[in-house]
Amino acid sequence: MTDAVTSLWPFLVYVVAVLLLVATMLGLSFVLGQRRANRATNMPFESGVLSVGSPQIHIAVEFYLVAIFFVIFDLETVFIFAWAVAFFELGWEGFIAVLVFIAILAVALVYELSTGALDWGVKTRAGAPRPESRQPQEEQH
Amino acid sequence: MSELGTVTFGLLLIAAAVGGAAVLTWFERRLLGIWQDRYGPDRLGPLGIGQVVADMLKLLTKDDWVPPFSDRFVFVFAPTAIVVAMLLGFAVVPFAPQLYVLDINIGLLFFLGMTSLAVYSVLLGGLASNNKYALLGGLRSAAQMVSYEVFMGLSLMGVVMLTGSFSLRAIVEAQRDLWYCVPQVLGLFTFLIAGIAESHRLPFDLPEAEHELTAGFHTEYGGMKFAMFMLGEYLGLILISCMITTLFFGGWLGPWLPPLLWFCLKTFALICFFVLLRGAIPRPRYDQLMTLGWKYMLPLTLLNLVLTGALALLLEGQRHV
Amino acid sequence: MLETLFYGAALIALTATAAALTRANAAHALIYLIVSLLAVAVLFFLLGAPFAAALEIVIYAGAIMVLFVFVIMMLNVGESGRAQEREWLRARHWIVPGILAAALLLELLLALRHNPVATSAMEVDPKRVGLALFGPYVLAVEIASLLLLAALVGAYHLGRHFIVRREDQR
Repeated sequence: MTDAVTSLWPFLVYVVAVLLLVATMLGLSFVLGQRRANRATNMPFESGVLSVGSPQIHIAVEFYLVAIFFVIFDLETVFIFAWAVAFFELGWEGFIAVLVFIAILAVALVYELSTGALDWGVKTRAGAPRPESRQPQEEQH
Repeated sequence: MSELGTVTFGLLLIAAAVGGAAVLTWFERRLLGIWQDRYGPDRLGPLGIGQVVADMLKLLTKDDWVPPFSDRFVFVFAPTAIVVAMLLGFAVVPFAPQLYVLDINIGLLFFLGMTSLAVYSVLLGGLASNNKYALLGGLRSAAQMVSYEVFMGLSLMGVVMLTGSFSLRAIVEAQRDLWYCVPQVLGLFTFLIAGIAESHRLPFDLPEAEHELTAGFHTEYGGMKFAMFMLGEYLGLILISCMITTLFFGGWLGPWLPPLLWFCLKTFALICFFVLLRGAIPRPRYDQLMTLGWKYMLPLTLLNLVLTGALALLLEGQRHV
Repeated sequence: MLETLFYGAALIALTATAAALTRANAAHALIYLIVSLLAVAVLFFLLGAPFAAALEIVIYAGAIMVLFVFVIMMLNVGESGRAQEREWLRARHWIVPGILAAALLLELLLALRHNPVATSAMEVDPKRVGLALFGPYVLAVEIASLLLLAALVGAYHLGRHFIVRREDQR
């Protein structure tokens, strides 16, 4: 371990150099950049149209689903990482264990695809109750 | 290599990566120009390479504008995150047997971690801008990036299985007899697609789909901060090419030429491939992109893992019997 | 050298966590939390657990925090949310749990003083983690996968009610 740590300090220098570089880039552009203030400079850009309403819009729930599916699948991949690195040592027993694991993961994937949770745009899934009190969400597909 | 040598190499590496990314902006335009039967930027200097300097000077003197309606701290933080994450990713790439900044036994995982941090740049940039287009663009591209990240790591596990280590140097050494692009052709294919989508290059450049979302998450960015997003993207492209070289094309291995030259040649060929890909393939629709990721690529990577595992164990068993 | 790095990373982790707690703006708090998690990853690495360090980055900093940012963006509460957060940061809301947690910390420190935990100086190779997970703990791995399956189904059913079908929008 001490070996690994003593070889760390070139990397530390590297990290500091990267941070310095980024700071220099921002600093230089701050110093050299021109300043201008026209009538519309400080307005949000919306393709030349005046901004209407607040940017606090409601987002389609699909994004939340994608994020949470990502977290779950990322957790599952970590187990596969652990298996892959000790693959030959684990042999057939490990392979069968991971086969079961992947099968459960595949069930999750099939479920998720069959419910249409990840169908973007066309919503033809059955069973989703009508949202009576909710405003239509503003995400366009 | 001595520690001082490694430090020097690290500093050179940063310079080479950033310089390479800058030159790549010009090189890409030239190559696409040739491909599409036009000139591209050819006015300044020999072959127009002076364009790089001109662009840099222009970007440096642009208005360093932070929107008054934005979240200033996050607005400035977002573009730096991608540049820092990508540059740190370069630290674990072994360019030659003794030429690297950091040699750790989790090198591959370090690379995956750094690419996963790049998502923040897009997300926070979109969030901080306080602009509808930026918000939608940021969410969209982040959803794309995380969807492709799911199988990015998995697609590399075939390589890890055959090597039995996350160390990138061990992975290159294990390819002495056969490059992994042959036994891991499925892994290479899926990683290639994940890599393009992660660095959101065309055909997966929906984050910047300009006809739909003006400029996506960086609508409100200009000057150097915008340039840093672009720098991050080009650094990502170079980093992905380096990783594909290391993981699938034998890294520095090759006859006659010095190792570093081999590595650079292979990486350069891959970069050219990525650039030409941009000129050849149209951009898919967003729902097509997400469907491709979840419905086809993810099952394909799982299939690759199972096939690799079964075949490797069968062959290994035969060797021992 | 090792100790300096360790205490440096620990200091960063503590400062970043404290900053994350006291920010009223959710996005700012999140950035500090990410920094804190990265510092913890460095701690793991220095303690000789590189695989745990990598997972700390890939899972916590790279996935779970991304989910948090997604939620912040989706709720996008703006100034009203910040005002609410500032209200919660007033002393009377956290003083009692704060004192209780401090007492607990004190107790922990005293307990540690009596039986000091020796950190093992050996490095845990990623391969050993794999051998352990798919060796003696293989049942736990399979149960974990079932748990994740349940989480996925649950997440979908929570989100499903908010999905607006195209025909509803007309």
